[in-house]
Amino acid sequence: MTGAPKWLRWSRLLPSDVRGEVDDELAFHLDMRTRDLVAAGMAPAAAREEAERQFGELRRIRDACVTIDERRQRRTHRTEVMTDMLQDLRLAARTLRRSPGFTATAVACIALGIGVTTTIFSAVNAILLRPLPYPRADELVAVYAQNPDRGIYGANVSWPDYASWRDESRALAALGMWTWTSLAVGGGAGEVERVEGSEVTANLFPLLGVRPVLGRAFSAGDQTPGRDRVALLSYGLWQRRFGGDRGVVGRSVQVDGLPYTVVGVMPPRFNFPQRGQLWVPFTVDQNAQERANRMYAGAIGRLKPGVTVEQARADLAAVSARLQREYPGDNFGWAAEVIPLRDDLVGDLRRPLLVFLGAVAFVLLIACANVANLMLARGATRQREVAIRVAIGAGRGRLVRQIMTESVLIAALGGALGVLLARYGVRLIALAFPDDVPFYISLHVDGATLLFAALTAGLTGVLFGVLPALRSTRLDVAASLRDGARDAGSSVARSRVRSALVVAEIALSLVLMAGAALLLRSYQALQGTDLGFEERGILSVRISLPLAKYPARATRAEFYDRLFERVRAMPGVQVVGSAQGIPFSGWNVQAELSVEGRPAPAAGQELDAHYQWITPDFFKAIGVPLERGRGFTAADRDSTSPVAIVNETLARRVFGGEDPIGRRMRIGGAGSSDPWATIVGVARDYRHYRLSEPMGPAIYFPYAAVPLLQQTLAIRTSLADPLALAPAVRAAIRELDPDVPAYEVQTFEQAVSRSLWRQRLQGQVLGTFALLALALAAVGLYGVVAYAVAQRTRELGVRMALGATRRDVVSLVLGQGARLTLAGVAIGAVASLALTRLLASLLYGVRATDPATLAGVSAVLAGVALAATYVPARRAARVDPLVAMRSE
Amino acid sequence: MPKTNVDLLQGTLDLLVLKTLSWGPAHGYAVARWIQQLTGEVLQVGEGSLYPALHRLEERGWVEAEWRLSEHNRRAKFYRLTAKGRQQLRVETTAWDQFVDAVGKVLRATGQPA
Repeated sequence: MTGAPKWLRWSRLLPSDVRGEVDDELAFHLDMRTRDLVAAGMAPAAAREEAERQFGELRRIRDACVTIDERRQRRTHRTEVMTDMLQDLRLAARTLRRSPGFTATAVACIALGIGVTTTIFSAVNAILLRPLPYPRADELVAVYAQNPDRGIYGANVSWPDYASWRDESRALAALGMWTWTSLAVGGGAGEVERVEGSEVTANLFPLLGVRPVLGRAFSAGDQTPGRDRVALLSYGLWQRRFGGDRGVVGRSVQVDGLPYTVVGVMPPRFNFPQRGQLWVPFTVDQNAQERANRMYAGAIGRLKPGVTVEQARADLAAVSARLQREYPGDNFGWAAEVIPLRDDLVGDLRRPLLVFLGAVAFVLLIACANVANLMLARGATRQREVAIRVAIGAGRGRLVRQIMTESVLIAALGGALGVLLARYGVRLIALAFPDDVPFYISLHVDGATLLFAALTAGLTGVLFGVLPALRSTRLDVAASLRDGARDAGSSVARSRVRSALVVAEIALSLVLMAGAALLLRSYQALQGTDLGFEERGILSVRISLPLAKYPARATRAEFYDRLFERVRAMPGVQVVGSAQGIPFSGWNVQAELSVEGRPAPAAGQELDAHYQWITPDFFKAIGVPLERGRGFTAADRDSTSPVAIVNETLARRVFGGEDPIGRRMRIGGAGSSDPWATIVGVARDYRHYRLSEPMGPAIYFPYAAVPLLQQTLAIRTSLADPLALAPAVRAAIRELDPDVPAYEVQTFEQAVSRSLWRQRLQGQVLGTFALLALALAAVGLYGVVAYAVAQRTRELGVRMALGATRRDVVSLVLGQGARLTLAGVAIGAVASLALTRLLASLLYGVRATDPATLAGVSAVLAGVALAATYVPARRAARVDPLVAMRSE
Repeated sequence: MPKTNVDLLQGTLDLLVLKTLSWGPAHGYAVARWIQQLTGEVLQVGEGSLYPALHRLEERGWVEAEWRLSEHNRRAKFYRLTAKGRQQLRVETTAWDQFVDAVGKVLRATGQPA
């Protein structure tokens, strides 16, 4: 094919003039016939007429011929293009098969690059890109309360504020309210179990655009107290407990010990919020009617069509401002916070995901640079082949296309392998995700991911192929043929390009390593943080008594006291304590406190504190010592003049240098009617919310004074695995009351470790990428130096013949590697300082520009680079001068 | 001899064209003239219908075309039988012979078969 004359190849690509040719052919026929008739004696005009008569319908015949010819031409063109491509592919496949080492390395590099990129893309797609499973989901917003002056954001909304926003907003088509709850559900198959659920206003599911598949949705009437014993089941719960029985609507189920009527079943794959499975109507009791009671609930709204989030913010800000003026006492500083629903659900996952995406782009770039380097090196040795093909008439375009076919083939192979890697990678990432991510996030390799992988592979192939293709086809044919296989004039330019690629690889690797090191150090710092409590050897079990069955404090105390006693008697149990929320359980209830004898604080200066009712042994069970005063005893059961323990932070912040013991505080602001509680002790601070966040002020009251429905037992045990106690504890609870299920049964260690999943994932993922980058860059550097050594064999031989020692040769080669490494590290360090800033919000205990980290990773990178250079340097030193000089 | 108008089946026209070209390359006008001469002008082919037949044969790869100078020094499109076309001619000739033979047997039959 390459032998065909050029003009002929081009002429075939141009559409030839089918119509003209047919016209010429038919005209020739008519002319000849006319001529013969004239020769036989006819007059010219008559002869012409007779010729046309004999011919038949000229126009129809002409069209028939043109149709046939055009069809034939289209077919020929198609097969020619296909043939060319097939030929290129076959040639590329043969070339690649002939150098399996090169092919394997290149394909592996690309597979790694595409594998990690696709893995991260599938996570980004699942979490950030795939639309929420609601119609016109971009109109949905989460609405919270905020008080910027007091640094409070994402707070729950009070019912009266909600009602004002809902009724006065002009930007919202609808605003619904919900509150998270967990409900003990009985009925159907199986024991009573506790499931996550939600109280929702009747308008919430309709505004989300979700309708029940069976039965009806909630109506406004369901929210009336007394008529609110109705429930909606999730599809999963319906299948699991009721075997998908369509007769379930209208049936009664036990919810927290009370009979509720099932009114409907929601569609499959719908959960709310996060993973909730059971819904009951949101009702407003006396307490919730208070405007300042921002205790329970979040709101979700739908914007009117065409309204932006900004407009909605301005709109609700105006309503909030009016409320502030009207209710300065309850609403001072409070306003609505409006966030697109997806951002609210995704929350703090966005930044790490974007960081990951940036990191994989780096890995992919490094992989591309590596393969481009390999191809450039190969291009040099292939010059003779290229020159021959040019000499026998192959155009440069054709050669470029052929070399590009090779890169695209490599990219395709690498891409296919990469997708396999990604399937594995996605599974690893899914394992690292906790089970409380929103229900709609499911990590898997889907169509969008495959499309992404295919596009990335194609782009990659062009990216690493185009430079080598252009380079290795730009040459002086005569010189190349004359000089034989040796790389001729372009070698300097070529090696400059290759060096630049390696410097870029090293720089990119350094940035990645710096980022990974910072995240890993943050994770270490978090793990090394003093929790303030003892996390080993403790089992925690959560219980909520149904209000309907345990309305009186006495009956609650009776249940819990008997339970504590039974658990204490179990073998291996040392201490049993209880509170509402143990550390890292997500329990986050705060109240405003006032101090006896102090004037009411100025607006915005109120004291907010974490508070709980705890048993006498709670601190002992979780290993928190008392710094001053005494702990609670069983005798502390007076609820009219109670006692209290405060933590160090509260003592310091409220009482400064004074002794807090004996001082009195109470829940509520200036107008509170709660009894004053006398401080009897000061407990040491511990981490309650998460590792990175100190607890803030906290106050504790004795359990016996107000035994709450909800308790979380902290059981200190001598058993190696605290979970071994779980069956016995569950059985004890079931014996006391089969309608009360135990839940969130876990060890403290599990709870702490789970709270770190994000930091762990960040460190591990970026660490993996950094290692990949380091390995790829080392391979790249090795390749460049080894190739340079091979090219300079003769020169090195001459040097040694002239008296250079092996040492000289080694340092000569090492010097070349060191120059590249230094350049890469210098560029990388500058880039790191600029880019690690983006990580700042993910870091803990280490600054984004931490010099020690940067110096450390630079040293590691330089060390690995030196090692990669040392191998070819040793080889250079073993060169035999005689052999080298004779070699050509 | 009286002139009879015979409607040629398309396949038959193809066969005649292939046969004509088996003597050597020719342009369309020559093919038409030869067919008329040989059939003693019994077969009054509308001369034009020859051309779609030629182009179809070219599409199938049975003939190849090339522009050359004719005997009167004019550019003309010459058709040449390909190897594939020669093969096709053999197949169709055999089929034609069998057809003629079969029809002839019926027409020459003396009595109604039992």
